[in-house]
Amino acid sequence: MKGNIELIKDGKRLDGRLPGDLRDIKIKTNVVKNAQGSAYIEWGNNKIIAAIHGPNEALPRHTANPNKAVVKCRYMMAPFSSSEEHGRSGMNRRAVEISKVTGEVFENVILLDQFPGTEISIYIEVIQSDGGTRAAGITCAAVALAASGIPIKDLPFSVSAGKVGETVILDLNKIEDNYSDADMPVAVLPRTKEVVLLQMDGSLTKKQYTDAMALILESGKKISKIQRDALISQYSQ
Amino acid sequence: MRKIVIPGDLLTDKPLRILDAIVEDNKTYSTIIGLYDDEKKSLIPLEGLWYPNRDDVVVGIIEESKLNTETVILNAPYKGLIISKYSESHMSSGDFIEANVKELDKTGTVILTRPKILHDGKIIRIKPSKVNRVLGKANTMIKQITEGTKTRIVVGLNGLIWLNGGNIDLAIKAIETVCKEAHTSGLTEKIGTMVGAPKQPNQKISKETETKETTENNEKTEEEMI
Amino acid sequence: MQLITNKFLKERFALGKRDDDRDPMTYRDIKLTLNEIPNAEGSAIVEIGNTKVLTGVKVDLSEPMSDTPNDGNMTTSAELLPMADDNYDVGPPTPFGVELARVVDRAIRAAGVIDTEKLFIEEGKVWGVFVDMYILNNDGNLFDAGLLASVAALLSCKVPKYENETVIREAMGKLPTKNITTSCTFAKFADNLLLDPTANEEALAESRVTIGNDEEVIRSMQKGMSGSFSMKDLDQLIDVTFEKSKTLRQILKNNTGD
Repeated sequence: MKGNIELIKDGKRLDGRLPGDLRDIKIKTNVVKNAQGSAYIEWGNNKIIAAIHGPNEALPRHTANPNKAVVKCRYMMAPFSSSEEHGRSGMNRRAVEISKVTGEVFENVILLDQFPGTEISIYIEVIQSDGGTRAAGITCAAVALAASGIPIKDLPFSVSAGKVGETVILDLNKIEDNYSDADMPVAVLPRTKEVVLLQMDGSLTKKQYTDAMALILESGKKISKIQRDALISQYSQ
Repeated sequence: MRKIVIPGDLLTDKPLRILDAIVEDNKTYSTIIGLYDDEKKSLIPLEGLWYPNRDDVVVGIIEESKLNTETVILNAPYKGLIISKYSESHMSSGDFIEANVKELDKTGTVILTRPKILHDGKIIRIKPSKVNRVLGKANTMIKQITEGTKTRIVVGLNGLIWLNGGNIDLAIKAIETVCKEAHTSGLTEKIGTMVGAPKQPNQKISKETETKETTENNEKTEEEMI
Repeated sequence: MQLITNKFLKERFALGKRDDDRDPMTYRDIKLTLNEIPNAEGSAIVEIGNTKVLTGVKVDLSEPMSDTPNDGNMTTSAELLPMADDNYDVGPPTPFGVELARVVDRAIRAAGVIDTEKLFIEEGKVWGVFVDMYILNNDGNLFDAGLLASVAALLSCKVPKYENETVIREAMGKLPTKNITTSCTFAKFADNLLLDPTANEEALAESRVTIGNDEEVIRSMQKGMSGSFSMKDLDQLIDVTFEKSKTLRQILKNNTGD
């Protein structure tokens, strides 16, 4: 283990979770009035707003594809979102990369050929961060997309798994992320179990990788249920 | 049996052609949030965009008037286009119009016919998925709003609604209420009270008309959902 | 939700009516939520009708400005999120975004909301206060909403401790403040003056003015857009501002206990 913080003590993590436990997740739909669809997620201490605009005519015109819609995705962290010091405003290299791989998740699921010549914008704004914001952002944006009525072939969920010492753990928070020995955010289509986002750094044996994926798939059932409930609850009194 | 489905939900384990559904591995899955009727094998969107179909009534705003064509803003990913040979009157930028869809062409433009200028008044925008509820079963909802407020109203299936005259603010409030509470029951009565409409002779509508309208819109379905 | 074209609004304005049913000199409903972002030292969400602004405040170790070596400093920014309005784009700040940030910044400075002298730590070290406005949904009057959210966030803001050359955020004191300021923004169309304009009204207005004040005096003013105001207009608007600001200050006091 890197650093000098004991992240697991008597089998429990600093916040009391067991290695395979998720943090609490709450999702609410339709939080941005001017958007076609939107959602707000509280995932542990993470707070994220996702909103969908479009399909609109793709601008500038040269970005348009005559055969299908183009997806424009922006993930950004607010300068006041971290418990540490004030963040630099604007898009840094990390945000640019996350925006790209997140956009690719949604290019996979949206039925793009139904909207030739248009653009669909996905905005993910992290207003408070505590580790795992890209996974929470994708989970939230998937709900926003479903709430917008834009057809998608499945509702992706995302969560990360990692390793502390030799223990594989699910859903790393900020401090675990800082001192862990591996971090692997993954997004999955629940129906087919296809992996649509995969990043990893640190060190994992093949066995640890398999265990981490198993935790991710198992927790996906819970995350999918929370996504479903958020979407359906807006139609019940 | 009707139930709410979300994208990715299995509708049937047979390959069926259902609007807003996809077939994979010979099974049919929803791509939207909607109400699925297992007997009728129909999927009604609860949210969503407007897909232009032939003869749809739309309301729009003239964007640009060129030599032989007018482009029209339609509250949709597609632009409308009026080719002059289909229109009798001269239209200019900013005019409100009512028209019918002729076709969605290959470039993603909606060709419109039979345009009529809607003089004065205002246009409001609602979600296209709420249009059927605003019209109501056999148009009862919109009729009582029109009668109660004495406002002239044209509802476009694209989600744009033109209003003129009468108590226009009350009419807008009534329409907004319908959209906000679209999934609740007893809405016709509530709106009736709100606009002070004379009692609708609902019962006198012939069985035939009622059945026909019901299959065409989803008001009944949404009422029964609760 | 409403898409109203210029033609209609112009006619309506001519009759002295508004985009919605309000009287010319009334605000829409105002809602204030504090401490939505516990990671930030101060935060507040203000909703005025459908307009929604989140201000987050961070307090960090900083170097003093050369002309005020014994004072803490403040930096203000405004992020017009592309999700907030179809007309907002990704990219560098627009002139409007810069104007919004600077108008709010000046209002806070001019009224002396932060007691900057008390932010001095030791020679060459002071606290820096970062005020970031996040526009979550735009339906006009971002000036009043932005200032209200920013002042509320400052009034409820905490300051870390500085011991043995380290910043300790676990045990924090209150940010020293010494005044409260709010602003009232008006739009002018033809001869009509409208308090708290919606996005539709702003789009059509000829001119706009924001007047910031405290209980005693006017603290800041900014006129925007290409039209003008008469001397008589401004006299009236200043009077209205002093009257309306009582309610705004009350909202701040009720929520922050100041």
